[in-house]
Amino acid sequence: MATKFFGTPVKRREDRRLLTGGSQYTDDLQLTGMVHAAIVRSPHAHARIRSVDVEAARSAPGVVAVFTGKDMEGVAGIPTAWLIPDSDLKTTDHPALARDRVRYVGDGVAVVLAEDRYQAEDAAQLVQVDYEILDAVADQVKAVEEGAPQVHDDAPGNRCFLFNTIQGGDLDQAFEDADDVLSFRTTNHRMIPSAIEPRGCVAQYNAASGELTLRMTSQNPHIHRLLLSIVLGVPEHKVRIVTPEIGGGFGSKIAVYADEAVMAFCAMQTGRTVKWVETRRENFQCTTHGRDHVTDVEAAYTNEGKILGLRFKTWANMGAYVSTAAPGVPTWLYGLMLSGVYDVPAVGLEVVGVFTHTTPVDACRGAGRPEATYLLERIVDLVAQRVGLDPVEIRRLNFIGKEKFPHAVAPGVIYDSGDYDAALDRLLEMVDYEAFRSEQAEAREQGRYLGIGLSTYVEICGLGPSSIVGSTGFQGGLWESSVVRVHPTGKVTVMTGANPHGQGEETTFAQVVGDVLGVDIDDVELVHGDTDLVPMGMGTYGSRATAVGGIAAFKAAQKVVEKASKIAAHQLEAREEDLEFEDGRFQVKGTDQGMSFQDVALQAYLAWNLPQGLEPGLEAQSFYDPSNFVFPFGAHACIVEVDAETGQTDIVRYVAVDDCGEVINPLIVDGQIHGGIAFGVAQALYEHAQYDESGQLLTGSMMDYAVPKPGQMPSFELDRTVTPSPVNPLGLKGIGEAGSIGSTAAVANAVADALSPFGIDHVEMPFTPQRVWQAIQQA
Amino acid sequence: MQLSGTHRLALSRLRVWQLLNDPQVLARATPGVKTLVRDGEDRFKAELELGLGPVRGVFAGQVEVRDKQEPSDLTLRVEGNGSVGGIRAEGKLRLEEAGQETLVHYRGTALVAGTLASFGSRLFSGVARKLAAEFFENLQREGNE
Amino acid sequence: MAQVSIEVRVNGSTYRKEVEPRLLLVHLLRDVLGLTGTHVGCDTSSCGACTVLLGGLAVKSCTLLAVQADGAEITTVEGLATNGDLHAVQEGFWEEHGLQCGFCTPGFLMATVQLLERNPDPGDAEIRHALEGNLCRCTGYQHIVNAVQNAAGKLREAAS
Repeated sequence: MATKFFGTPVKRREDRRLLTGGSQYTDDLQLTGMVHAAIVRSPHAHARIRSVDVEAARSAPGVVAVFTGKDMEGVAGIPTAWLIPDSDLKTTDHPALARDRVRYVGDGVAVVLAEDRYQAEDAAQLVQVDYEILDAVADQVKAVEEGAPQVHDDAPGNRCFLFNTIQGGDLDQAFEDADDVLSFRTTNHRMIPSAIEPRGCVAQYNAASGELTLRMTSQNPHIHRLLLSIVLGVPEHKVRIVTPEIGGGFGSKIAVYADEAVMAFCAMQTGRTVKWVETRRENFQCTTHGRDHVTDVEAAYTNEGKILGLRFKTWANMGAYVSTAAPGVPTWLYGLMLSGVYDVPAVGLEVVGVFTHTTPVDACRGAGRPEATYLLERIVDLVAQRVGLDPVEIRRLNFIGKEKFPHAVAPGVIYDSGDYDAALDRLLEMVDYEAFRSEQAEAREQGRYLGIGLSTYVEICGLGPSSIVGSTGFQGGLWESSVVRVHPTGKVTVMTGANPHGQGEETTFAQVVGDVLGVDIDDVELVHGDTDLVPMGMGTYGSRATAVGGIAAFKAAQKVVEKASKIAAHQLEAREEDLEFEDGRFQVKGTDQGMSFQDVALQAYLAWNLPQGLEPGLEAQSFYDPSNFVFPFGAHACIVEVDAETGQTDIVRYVAVDDCGEVINPLIVDGQIHGGIAFGVAQALYEHAQYDESGQLLTGSMMDYAVPKPGQMPSFELDRTVTPSPVNPLGLKGIGEAGSIGSTAAVANAVADALSPFGIDHVEMPFTPQRVWQAIQQA
Repeated sequence: MQLSGTHRLALSRLRVWQLLNDPQVLARATPGVKTLVRDGEDRFKAELELGLGPVRGVFAGQVEVRDKQEPSDLTLRVEGNGSVGGIRAEGKLRLEEAGQETLVHYRGTALVAGTLASFGSRLFSGVARKLAAEFFENLQREGNE
Repeated sequence: MAQVSIEVRVNGSTYRKEVEPRLLLVHLLRDVLGLTGTHVGCDTSSCGACTVLLGGLAVKSCTLLAVQADGAEITTVEGLATNGDLHAVQEGFWEEHGLQCGFCTPGFLMATVQLLERNPDPGDAEIRHALEGNLCRCTGYQHIVNAVQNAAGKLREAAS
């Protein structure tokens, strides 16, 4: 295949509409006869609902209807779709609107529909809910203690699940053979994904045809169709999910939420088109959060610095209800990565999933893998310090060598390809590691505290082979679909079940398909996000869109070329094997006989002269199910300066070498890495979703929760190595989450390095001035 | 949130006790109280107006005086709900004689919920201290009259 | 609720409307005038997705009442391009991949227009400082800084 577009920094094709206000996000939809919804939410983390009085609200100006949990008794609970086996998982009932008990601040109690948004909000304030306030628990370690307030009657001890499936190698032997064991407890704190576009939904129901249409902020419209069809009892083929432009997801638009089910219910009850868009405060309270682990680590190592075995026990805060993909995140997506880039013979993990009176926790950029990387990278640095190795040396000593791939690791997956030394070599060269160490020594003499943190990570993405994800309890396949439809004029529509929301697939998929078909990328249009137009697909998350969806488009395009080749051979009166297809033209080898792809397309539809038995038309479909996951990796270095007087941490340099296999569009890959790094750095330095002891979210607005500003981020210095994946024909891996997986640990290690003159080897995140200052004072 | 402190009032302990047990005085002295209506023995229905940073609202609630041990100890319990959230506070007051004056020691917990919590909680401890100071200043003024 | 009569000039067109005194400017633009390029991202004027130019100044239209804009001249993202030719700031963001999901982008564009009017040749740190009122969750800001530099270069070239 000629690669005219593959590998080039093509300007994004989706940008013109985004730059001119010409795009349409969910909140931009104005449909005739539309009413607006406001949800009455619990201000209490835990309370019994004594009564809900909606009379005043019902008679308020502009109000069309008010519904409560009682009205929705016929609607099924909100489901969970990752039923991890052998874990005694309790999914518990999750009504779309609470009936008798509220379990977190923001739990929906009633919904008000009115002619405009202002009236709906006004009327929502008139709904009188009589609550009997009950004791609440927000912290997962406290929640499993004897006598803690119970979230669900059918989940005793607040235990959601106990997962200990990931046990690889002989752990007892490893700890017996070890010269020493490192143990510590650490927290990976809670984050709020904070897509700048809040969630929203416009629901329409046609009672005559029985069709329900939801235009909504979704990363995976087909999954939403399937699950909402079950919840609402509307047949799947009568449910249409359309995703307008999506303003970022970061994992928070994967889940099936109560709110969308409520809006569908309202549309079905009233016959009116219902629009609901959350406020930022609702987003922070009700849209899924991420991370929130407390982990006990035990690392068995030799005096030479070889890591022999790792034992982890993690308490994962699940929040008040089990969100759609939530059980898979702190178990599989986390546990499978718990040996990272290191050749660790034995790894064991026990996870206690815990119910608390907080917002449900689910996927958040990186989902499980940043948690694993953070632990491993802290472990290797702490072990290095104990055995007297440099952080570089201990990494090299424990790396899985490039000759070992494909490599089966102790947690139970097979890494596809990797060359961890090469990425680290390039990183150290860019950083000029030796020079930095001397600069650091000089600075310390002047009372300035510089630190460098390395993070060498690998991640599992391109989710994923359906048979494997099926065995993990995921209630679906994770293949991806694509249709490549060539029109009579040779213009091309590509449909994908992946659902881009910022990742630039309208450009990258066009680059792939344009190359296969030999057409200009401006002649290729990507259609996505409409279950009536696009075949069943699984969506965009887990850095899967390109490595799975992109390959589906590639394969569908190849099928188109196969058919076009038959038509061209027939029309040119040549044998197919005598044709060559180059740059959009079928040519009979060694002659001037040929025809363009566009001509073949026209002939396919005219169908006047097709090979016998060949159907007219020119389109093909692919359902691509990868044979394995893909494993991007990289080496990051963060240099910080800590002001010992104030505890302020500033990033001086951030250098990253990432390897995502072959690169379709370097500009877009860089953008994904930047955003990922920023996400992880923000967790390390700024962001922290905090609850008080009564379960109130204290960081309930963007004034309180620190999504970083432009001045709080450094410039990133990037390079990459290219180690193609053998899993798919284009050698692609994924890059959407890589930055967020590598970066948090790099910052953590840098802060610890900077503070080492004080005898400090570990500080808990986030590294706010207060925390760092306290650590220095206590040292 | 935990709240504790001590205020010195230039009034006798008996006088302070009387003031604290007079609903009219309590209504005038408690910042934000718009109305206070007796609703049983040592129980009152109250309407409060309170602001925390950008969030202001009116609360309907109850004030209850409990565990009275004349003339030194009592517990004040306030609960209020409104459109911007809820507030629950309970404080133990102990009156200690200090010559002609009285030291009022208070210790308690306060919880806020709803908008008040998500927007205003950062400011809460500061505001609570200020309100407590205002309350005791008002009480002093009432006692002087 | 009582209505107030206002007149605004938006992207060169004059509109006379009867509005509730409490109507936010951003809702006037989006819901009344149908200019949905200006977005709402938070409740606290933190994110800047709603930034428009009012009398040439970048303001957060979610924190201004429509009645306060009576008589004002407003430019929104829809008014940046002229006759289909993109503004240099739009070009800069496109060329440097200064946007991903695009939701915060209109606000960044408007804030950048003001920045470059005030400072035609800003340093990277000045750019980051000037855009402190806008949040982007996708880009990590680096491509936005590059985009502003790109646009600044284009505008300086056009001016010389």
